[in-house]
Amino acid sequence: METQGRRLYEELGTLARFVDNAMHAISTVTPQIMSSSTQLPTAASHLSDLKKMTEDGTLEVMRLTELLQDHHASMAKELSGVVDALKAIDCATLAGRLEHVRSILAQDDKHLMEIMTALSFQDLVAQRVKKLVAILDEVQTKLVELVVVFGLQRNGHEAVGTGIADQMLKQLEESKTTAMKQQVADDLLAQFGFK
Amino acid sequence: MPADPNMKILVVDDMVTMRKIVKNILKQLGFANTDEAENGEEGLQKLRGGSYNFVVSDWNMPVMTGIEMLRAIRADEKLKSIPVLMVTAEAQQSNLIEAVQAGVSNYIVKPFTAETMQEKIGKIFK
Repeated sequence: METQGRRLYEELGTLARFVDNAMHAISTVTPQIMSSSTQLPTAASHLSDLKKMTEDGTLEVMRLTELLQDHHASMAKELSGVVDALKAIDCATLAGRLEHVRSILAQDDKHLMEIMTALSFQDLVAQRVKKLVAILDEVQTKLVELVVVFGLQRNGHEAVGTGIADQMLKQLEESKTTAMKQQVADDLLAQFGFK
Repeated sequence: MPADPNMKILVVDDMVTMRKIVKNILKQLGFANTDEAENGEEGLQKLRGGSYNFVVSDWNMPVMTGIEMLRAIRADEKLKSIPVLMVTAEAQQSNLIEAVQAGVSNYIVKPFTAETMQEKIGKIFK
């Protein structure tokens, strides 16, 4: 009976040490957990910005492509009229050359349509970004739960990370407000004598 | 019966870029009479309010997905005969099977080419 009591006492001692070690391990990662949980919304925001930037760029390429397509359609129509007129006055050589120009335009039309189709990459990028943002939200929720469960508290500046990821996120965040527009750059260049 | 160049086509996609791409391809293929909707619910409203002959729809959309809209179209006496072409990044076999069971007319996987779109339209309206 005494032996059993002693074993139980030892087991409880081992368990208490294990719990103590676990608590110690968790407390040492507290700053990182706090840092990650506060930075995840920023990372998600940058991903959303990325989606917006690709969308804006894609729409501009589309606008210009559609402009070219419309111009091509007008040129093709004009050329048809000229070809018909030349054929009517028996200028077969000139008509033939213009027919050739028209076929080049038709080939370019095909390329323009391929450019439009290739721009569907933006939709695929946006879908992946949306999924990544959802994953980050989920991870953030779990981290916050961890913080609540273990009673981890933000401890002043300890929560601010110093790793590469932290620095990169900080740079990205700063670039939102400090990124220079071309007009500003041109104004600055002008001040330095660039015309 | 070949596709009528004047048929009214509804393009349903939550991404403005994809709506523009699909509309542009349709225009280049000779189908200029197009309209658009941002999700399945808006698509259904437009379909119920107008005389559309063909629907090109995405799968993943907020509010109402493409597959939900497809089921609603097939369950609606007035709309059930409208051909529906799904253009989607959902490239799993199970998705395709689900779409076929729901009554899809054909299925295009993103990214796609104009030739693929032309081929599918040709098959739907042959």
